[in-house]
Amino acid sequence: MSDTRIIDVGEGAAIPKRDDWGLFNAWTISIVGAILCICYLVFFQPTPYRRIIFYLADGVIITFQVTVISIVCACVIGLITGLGRVSKNKAINLLASTYVEIIRGIPLLVQLFYIYYALGRLLNVHDLTAAVIAMSVCYGAYMGEVFRAGITAIDKGQTEAARSLGFNTKQTMFLVILPQAWRTILPPVGNEFIALLKDTSLVSILAVSDLLRRGREFSSETFLYFETFTMVALIYLVITLLLSKGVGIMEARLSHYVRH
Amino acid sequence: MSATNPPIVDIRHVSKSFGALKALNNVSMSMNLGEKVVIIGPSGSGKSTLLRSINKLETVDSGTIIVDGYDINATTTDINRLRMELGMVFQSFNLFPHKTVLENLTLAPIKLKGMNKAEADEIGLKLLDKVGIKEKAHVYPSKLSGGQQQRVAIARALAMSPKIMLFDEPTSALDPEMIGEVLDVMVTLAKEGMTMAVVTHEMGFAREVADRVVFMDHGAIIEEGTPEHFFQNPDHDRTKLFLSQIL
Repeated sequence: MSDTRIIDVGEGAAIPKRDDWGLFNAWTISIVGAILCICYLVFFQPTPYRRIIFYLADGVIITFQVTVISIVCACVIGLITGLGRVSKNKAINLLASTYVEIIRGIPLLVQLFYIYYALGRLLNVHDLTAAVIAMSVCYGAYMGEVFRAGITAIDKGQTEAARSLGFNTKQTMFLVILPQAWRTILPPVGNEFIALLKDTSLVSILAVSDLLRRGREFSSETFLYFETFTMVALIYLVITLLLSKGVGIMEARLSHYVRH
Repeated sequence: MSATNPPIVDIRHVSKSFGALKALNNVSMSMNLGEKVVIIGPSGSGKSTLLRSINKLETVDSGTIIVDGYDINATTTDINRLRMELGMVFQSFNLFPHKTVLENLTLAPIKLKGMNKAEADEIGLKLLDKVGIKEKAHVYPSKLSGGQQQRVAIARALAMSPKIMLFDEPTSALDPEMIGEVLDVMVTLAKEGMTMAVVTHEMGFAREVADRVVFMDHGAIIEEGTPEHFFQNPDHDRTKLFLSQIL
C-alpha cells in the first residue's frame, strides 16, 4: 500500500513523497516549533519576552503593510514589465528590458537608499511610501522576468488557435495565455513573495519602524540583544511560513486541470 | 461555378521566404464558395504556409490574398473580424487546456459575437453531438484522446459559423486508429457543403471529397485538377513520382 506512494528513482533508491510523513513534514515542524517557542517565552518567561512582543507588535504591522502593498504593486509592475518584454513593439520592449537590466544590476539596499533620499528628501515623499516604492520597483523587475518566462513557456499553438478564432492580441493574452501562464508563474512568484517579505527587513535601515527596526530600538535601549532578536527571528519565521503555505494552497487550487 | 460569383478565396502571385528558403514562389490559386480543395505535396513544399497565409497566420512578402472580398493585407481590413469567417484546424489540435471542452467551443462566440452563455452552450452541445463527443462536454481536453481532441478542435472552429474551414494536416499527429474518426467528421462537413481547404497526406480523403486537388512542390503549385485526373493521369513527372512514392 505504502509502496505505491513512493517515487522509485531506480536501483533500490527511493525518495518518499512529501506527504508520506503526514504531520512530520518540515513545514509543520517549523511552524509548530516556532509558535510553541513564542508561546513558551511569552507565557513562562514574561520578563522580558512579554515586553518585547508588545514592543514589536507595531513593527509587525508595519512589516505586514510594507509586504502586502509592495507585493500588490510589484505584481502589477511585474505583469506590465512581463507583457512589455514579450511585446512586439520595439520601444516598449526596450523600455521594459532596460528597466529590468538596471534594477537587477543594483543591490536592493542601494536602491532603497537611493529612492529614499532622492524621492523622500527631494520630493518630500513619506518614509513608508518611499520604502514601498523602492520594494515595488525592485521586485517588479524580478517578477517581470518571472511573468515573461511564464508567458513564453505557453505553446505558440495556443496563440495561433486564439488568433485564428478572431481574438485580438489583447484578448489572446488575457483569455488564453495568462490564465494558463498563472500555473507556471505561481511557484516562482510565491518565492518572490517570500523573498520580498524577508527583504522588507532592509527598510529598517531607513526611518521605517518595521519589525527589525523595532527590535533594534528595543535592544539598544535595554541591551537585551539575544532575547529581542530571538523573538524577531521567530516572528519572521512564522509570517514567512504562513505566506509560503498560502502560496502552496493557491498553487494546488490552480492545478485542477492538465494532469499528464 | 459561375463566372459571375467572385471566388471566396483569391490568392494572386504570392511569395514568401523564411530566410534563404523560398516557402512560396509566385503562387496563385482561387477557391469558390462550397468548393473543397485538397492541397498535397512533400513536406517543406509550402502547402502549410499557403494555407496559413489565407488567415494571415503567415504574412506573405508579396502578392495579394483576397478573402470574401477583403484584401487581408490591406490596412483597412480588420483581420480579426475576417478570421471569424475562417475556421482553422491545426495538426496539434491546440485546444485551450484551461477550459473544458464545451468552454473551448463557447469562448469565442461569447466574447467575440456577444452571444449569451445559454445560447452558446446550446450551439456548442449541438456541435459536440455532431462530432460525436457530447458526453465529454464538461471534461478538460487533457482527458481526451488525440482523435477526440481534434474533433473538439473542429467543433470549436465551427462554433463561429465560419464560411471557410482551413485544415492544416489535421490527422498527421494522430495514432492510425484515430484518423478515421476525424476524417469521418470532415467528410460529413464536406457533404453539408462547407467550403474547405485541406492540407493532408490522406489520399483516400482527397479522392472521396476533393473537388480539386492541388499538388505543390518547392513553394510552387505544380499541378491542379480533379481527383480523377490527378490520381489517374497526372501531367507532370514530379506529380507521378510523388504519387508513386506515397500510394
